[in-house]
Amino acid sequence: MSLKDMRRSRLGFLRALVIAGRSGRVTRRYPYEEPLVTSDFRGKIDIDETKCIGCGACVNACPPNALELINTRDGYVSLRYFVGRCIFCWRCIDVCPTGAIKGTREFELATNDISDLYDIIVHEPNRCRECGKLFSTKRMGDYVVTKSPLVENYVDLDPDCRRNRFLKAIENRFGGRVG
Amino acid sequence: MDAISKYIETIKAVEPRADIHVSDDTVYATVSSSKLRDLAKAIYWDMDCFFRTCAGSDERSINGFYALYHIFGDDHNGLNIVLKVYADPNNPTLPSIVDIVPAADWCEMEARDLLGIEFSGRKQYRLILPPYWPKDLYPLRKEVSYDVKPQVIISSEKVGFWDRTSAGVAIPIGPYHPALHEPEYFELYVEGERVVDVRYRGFHVHRGIEKLGESKLTYQQVNFVAERICGICGFEHSVCYAQAIEKAAGIEIPERAKFIRSIVLEVERIHSHLLWIGVAVHLLGYDTGFMHTWRIREHVMIIAEMLTGSRKTYGINLIGGVRKDINEEKKQRVLDVLKIVEKEFTELVKTMVDVPQIMKRLKGTGILPREDARKLSVVGPTARGSGLDRDVRRDLPYAAYSYVDFNVPVYDDGDNLSRFLVRVDEVYESISIIRQLLDQLPQGPIMIEEFDIPEGRMAVSVVEAPRGEDIHFVITGRGKPYRWKVRAPTYQNIPALRVMLRDQPLADAPLTIASIDPCFSCTDRVFIVDKNGYKKRLDPILYRWR
Amino acid sequence: MGKPKFLGKSIWVFHLNTGSCNGCDIEVLDVLTPYHDAERFGVKLVVSPRHADAALLTGPITLESLPKVLRAIEAMPRPRIIIALGSCACGGNIWHSSYSVIGGVPELLKILKERGIEVDGVYYVPGCPVRPESIVYAVGLIKGLVPKKIKPKVKKVGR
Repeated sequence: MSLKDMRRSRLGFLRALVIAGRSGRVTRRYPYEEPLVTSDFRGKIDIDETKCIGCGACVNACPPNALELINTRDGYVSLRYFVGRCIFCWRCIDVCPTGAIKGTREFELATNDISDLYDIIVHEPNRCRECGKLFSTKRMGDYVVTKSPLVENYVDLDPDCRRNRFLKAIENRFGGRVG
Repeated sequence: MDAISKYIETIKAVEPRADIHVSDDTVYATVSSSKLRDLAKAIYWDMDCFFRTCAGSDERSINGFYALYHIFGDDHNGLNIVLKVYADPNNPTLPSIVDIVPAADWCEMEARDLLGIEFSGRKQYRLILPPYWPKDLYPLRKEVSYDVKPQVIISSEKVGFWDRTSAGVAIPIGPYHPALHEPEYFELYVEGERVVDVRYRGFHVHRGIEKLGESKLTYQQVNFVAERICGICGFEHSVCYAQAIEKAAGIEIPERAKFIRSIVLEVERIHSHLLWIGVAVHLLGYDTGFMHTWRIREHVMIIAEMLTGSRKTYGINLIGGVRKDINEEKKQRVLDVLKIVEKEFTELVKTMVDVPQIMKRLKGTGILPREDARKLSVVGPTARGSGLDRDVRRDLPYAAYSYVDFNVPVYDDGDNLSRFLVRVDEVYESISIIRQLLDQLPQGPIMIEEFDIPEGRMAVSVVEAPRGEDIHFVITGRGKPYRWKVRAPTYQNIPALRVMLRDQPLADAPLTIASIDPCFSCTDRVFIVDKNGYKKRLDPILYRWR
Repeated sequence: MGKPKFLGKSIWVFHLNTGSCNGCDIEVLDVLTPYHDAERFGVKLVVSPRHADAALLTGPITLESLPKVLRAIEAMPRPRIIIALGSCACGGNIWHSSYSVIGGVPELLKILKERGIEVDGVYYVPGCPVRPESIVYAVGLIKGLVPKKIKPKVKKVGR
């Protein structure tokens, strides 16, 4: 399509009127009409609290750290989703082990108060049966046991107590002291 | 294999003790710094290669030295040549090759700002970091954390401070100006209506991407960062990074994934060129053309959303393949939309060519002669509009481009009209490529699940973006890249603006700046600062301006 | 805080790109093209901050562009609002902790407060990049034509 092939005429620019007339008005009057959103559009995510186990796989996969595990009070752990920083990549949906996260097509997210943009899922923590400390979440413990029933003895102990038990078992078996 | 042996011979002739190994289409040579200049001359001028980029790297934790990689490219044979030199960790100094290879100016200064490597035999200046950045803090060194924030002292900028020996009145354009969408600062020195010189202070968009990629993120997360280097040409950055890691680790992705990547790359090219044509005629005052071009472009955005899930920053690329598939219904929809786009675009271009002010203002302005284009190694439509026949899709085929036939439009005049016509022709070529690809789409999986990325491998990956060639250089580490260098196409094209704007009337300046299709967010992903708080000085070696 | 009265009329906007990747900026241009005409609400892009009611801010604010952003905001006459467009401006996006970035509008508001520059309203529009329809919805929200749809949710997980 080089310049030589295109026929040039003096009033050729008036063709723009023909083009404009033929296209007509293409505006979609959005708030009063349906917008042009396809069914593949990636919008805000929705976390189902009946399935979330608080494992943090989504937290590791999220590039901008929009999903975070925060401590709300001593030992209580919550999953916080900050819509303001989300990049809508849906990687969290790819990696969630229980399928608790679902994608929606919502894009009408504007607000004048930034605290509207936080979604929080509050979890029940596990309590160690030896020292009473709070750690991880109860749901996570249940999930781990369903996947590998062997660990049922350990799931109620927090990591420090677990380690001490294991060291004690070595001492009993082989003698000596493990410092 | 002949070409590779020729390069090995050339390198060994100058430096017999060079340590050379060949991997795929790249020749890696470790040489001593005393022979660097002779080798650069031999490769750049005698063997007629182009200069791609240079990357500095902090390898003190691996072998105790700083390293600098100069990357050259041979397009006729489809090869990359990487020269590696080491620098002493206590006092890193290397010879500069700027007088032999003028295109190496900015990347040497970038290595100096970010790593502290000094270059002897040239005038040095601060390029990337802001004026008040402390002198001894080099962000890319491994001991400096990615979130170190020095005390923020906000200094006011001075305009037209340049010494009064330069003639003319200084006219600042930017950083926030209605004609520009991005913050960039140009100072045009005019005598009457004629522009005599230009200074550029950019790098307002530096966000520390390379440092983030090396410290906070994992391999799969860097794909999403790479996509956000630029909002207009983001997908090709993501493809380039994924290809670099796949080359370094030796991963072979499924054929269907290669085809899908190529299809989305061409969709991106069409949308980017239509955007540029609309903005260019808007700068000339023809808003009718702007509105109609963007009306046609909306169809392309809708099929991009249908294919990938988002209108821009598609997010479908991962190492090992893609995340979203194409079914028969989508294929048919894409073909229908392409028919509409082709018909309406032809009619619109025919109309625009008849508008008197467009042709008069495009023809004969902003000329870039062929020798200057070769010296500065410009890329993309800027090079093809000045008679240099370079296109990475044809010379170093990647993804599925070896399965399709297409022409590469080249025009010889070097003015704004040539660059305009190159882009118009490329839209038609892209439409034809998508049709061929959809026709030959193979069946199969779209992603590899299990793969392993070993440490310490290097790779260079080159992709043709809508603006030119884009290069990513990676060295793999454990769980995340050890060094990731991005050289965006506009980085290479901006120094050519000095040639193009000389002796032009002032009214043509915005169009000339826009004709290289500048994408400053691609350029600025690194930091450059001027040491004395002064603006960056352009290199005097080329044109003797001081 | 109640909606200031001036916002019911047409809003003149000054587009301020503080280091964004341009994705949101071309969607701002897209909003002015025929498919999603924002000019039916009276929105206009102006050439100087002195003519503007609202600053349309995109991008996480980089160190290099911070002095210029402060000068531009200071130059806007009162009453003035800031519209934070996109994930970069609302929370800093992927580079919220990088060495060369301030971190988005929440951090900028702290700096503005230190210097005594007052702003009469801030609106946040998430998205990466922002859809043109999201921008039109935000304009409708500012003018009071559509109700606010997003609500904060706190869900407690039972055993």
